[in-house]
Amino acid sequence: MADWLGDARTQVSDLVGDRARSWDLAGLLPDDLLRTLAKQGLLCPEVPRRYGGLGASSVDGGAFTAHTGSLCSSLRSVMTSQGMAAWTVQRLGDRAQRKQYLSQLTGGDLAAVAFSEPGAGSDLSTMDTVVRVDGDEVVVDGHKVWTTAARYADLIVVFGRFADEGAAVVVPADHPGVTVTPVPNPSGCRAAGHSEVVLDSVRLPASAVLGGGDQPLVLLGTTALAYGRISVAWGCVGILRACLAAASEHATTRRQFGQRLADHQLVARHLAELLTAEQVATRVCEHASRCWDSGSPEQVIATVLAKYVSSTEATRAASTAVQVLASVAADDGHVVARAYRDAKLMELIEGSNEICQLILARHTTSGR
Amino acid sequence: MNVRTEQATLPDSGTIEGEIGTYLDERLNTTVDTEQDLFASGLISSMFAMELVVHLEQSYGIAVIGRDLKLDNFRSVRRMTELVLRLLDAPATDG
Repeated sequence: MADWLGDARTQVSDLVGDRARSWDLAGLLPDDLLRTLAKQGLLCPEVPRRYGGLGASSVDGGAFTAHTGSLCSSLRSVMTSQGMAAWTVQRLGDRAQRKQYLSQLTGGDLAAVAFSEPGAGSDLSTMDTVVRVDGDEVVVDGHKVWTTAARYADLIVVFGRFADEGAAVVVPADHPGVTVTPVPNPSGCRAAGHSEVVLDSVRLPASAVLGGGDQPLVLLGTTALAYGRISVAWGCVGILRACLAAASEHATTRRQFGQRLADHQLVARHLAELLTAEQVATRVCEHASRCWDSGSPEQVIATVLAKYVSSTEATRAASTAVQVLASVAADDGHVVARAYRDAKLMELIEGSNEICQLILARHTTSGR
Repeated sequence: MNVRTEQATLPDSGTIEGEIGTYLDERLNTTVDTEQDLFASGLISSMFAMELVVHLEQSYGIAVIGRDLKLDNFRSVRRMTELVLRLLDAPATDG
């Protein structure tokens, strides 16, 4: 375990305390919470040290993501967005862009990544957002929806069409022509700052286009989503741990028919299933992260597998935990009530279950 | 892991073509020609292209980032070999 990880976990536990419930119900995270973590590089711990990051391994970054996810999935979602923005800059940006933007992202600035549009979800090739070259500037026009963390972001990495291909552009959220409108009542990760982002003739220097652009949209998306998927997968491990802890605590303290709930066999089976789900998801995430850390090409498919397994296990386990806690978890804002709502969103974002299944199926038939 | 750092000389194009060809043969269960268009023949997807990015980075100690991250660079064994040779030849960057 890296030096930073133990302290970071303690710090996040202290910062969140018992407030995740009220943040969820209010649909808002405190600005000082996000800034405190961002200034230490903790929202994107895997950024290399030469860019001001913590240089965390994927295994350690994942452990931190899971810990945060066990406390507050909204905060973990903001982490996923920041990490995905940093990863996108690291992979697509040129040297000057990496230096500039990564120092911002490890120095206190917050970032979001804008993919989805009213007419483009899983099929990124149908995006209507356009990045047009005008002399030594570019002009961005488009409409993005469900951009996680955009409400808090200083920088928004916007994907759009560029000539015959695509590009990722770093757009300052306060730039003229940018309008960010929070989604009023998201059903899960309610405080993650999901927003609609409208870009109306947003004029930026050409240096805002990562790597000069003109890259295939599908490859740009696949690159950025690789980080998003491993991060969501670990976040779901956190949801699973929160559900397991809450269910085992409840089942050993509440008594019915003269014995602890845990001693009723049908409830005991729920606990066994929760433990199994938590362990399965943890192992599949560890495997994927080890592939990242060793530079194995298997990381690509292992990451999709981890995202698929973790999110489906978390969704099922959250439902199981609600069953064990019953009316206690029917109290909106309770850790298990949040898990039930948050986990379902994890089956939709960063590649829905169905998209993950298609990728996994295609993997089995490569070349056949 | 950089398997090339211990070697004094850079691999030649024939060696790299052979190594990439072997990897593709194993992963795709088929034999590909050096010039064959892997996308047009439906052999590889963008997910597979990502796998090739990581494979080339690991095998040759290079970083395929920024402007080099284009499908054209992965269109054939020949194109990938040209990319590897160019990046091996390039001066070290800040990564």
